[in-house]
Amino acid sequence: MKSRTSLRPLDVVIRIAIVGLTLGTAYIHSTLGGLLFTLNALGYVTAALAVVVPLGIAVRFRWFIRIGLMGYAATAIVAWAVQGPYYSTAYIAKAIEVALIVLLAVDFARMDGNPIKVVKGELALLGSKLGRRAATGSAGA
Amino acid sequence: MKRILLTFGLVALAAISAACSSAAAKPPVPSGPVSDGPTIVAKDMKFLTTSVEVKAGQNLTLHFHNQESVPHNVAIFTDSSAGTPISIGEIVTSAMAEQTVPALQPGSYFFRCDVHHDMTGTIVAK
Repeated sequence: MKSRTSLRPLDVVIRIAIVGLTLGTAYIHSTLGGLLFTLNALGYVTAALAVVVPLGIAVRFRWFIRIGLMGYAATAIVAWAVQGPYYSTAYIAKAIEVALIVLLAVDFARMDGNPIKVVKGELALLGSKLGRRAATGSAGA
Repeated sequence: MKRILLTFGLVALAAISAACSSAAAKPPVPSGPVSDGPTIVAKDMKFLTTSVEVKAGQNLTLHFHNQESVPHNVAIFTDSSAGTPISIGEIVTSAMAEQTVPALQPGSYFFRCDVHHDMTGTIVAK
């Protein structure tokens, strides 16, 4: 799998927007009180960091972070749709989360390409690594 | 890419329609004279007033005082399944709100905060 790691100016803008939206919805959730909302806010802050942190492992698995954050935001939207509450602040938070998902999808397409190919490539890589380890193990036995 | 956007679009659409259908369960609008009712206070992520007694058979104004900077409201339902709303109060932060509750038949009713479902109480109409 070949993900692009060099950033073009538009990529930087998209990444800043993603971090801004993620921290925005984190802030809204942090003002709601209660354990669930606070944990949700912490999850978003962690994801915002993971999206930009220049650590090797984070850069290597940035594709997974993007998909994970999309799933996280989508879960938050579905959970809200099921149990509410339906009021102005919630609508703002959900609009932010929808925009976040769209931007993450755009970022994924620009940096990683086709998600199905990415996942297939990663699984193949994992399979070959496990196969090699098993072969080494049996040779050593 | 188009397929992904389509998938997310469908998920968003499903979420919005689910939200609309949930919000569609509107409580009845009371008509006729309204008498002054009790005050329910919220503080420290709980209702300080968890059991309220009201007069049955007459509309009343319920006063809600949220004493903290976290949003709360009072939503009254027929029972704890919260399936049939009777009166849904405005969600407020560090403020007072009033809501008109339609005449209740004698019995026990469930109320909760719509933001924090673990904040609950009981209204007894006599």
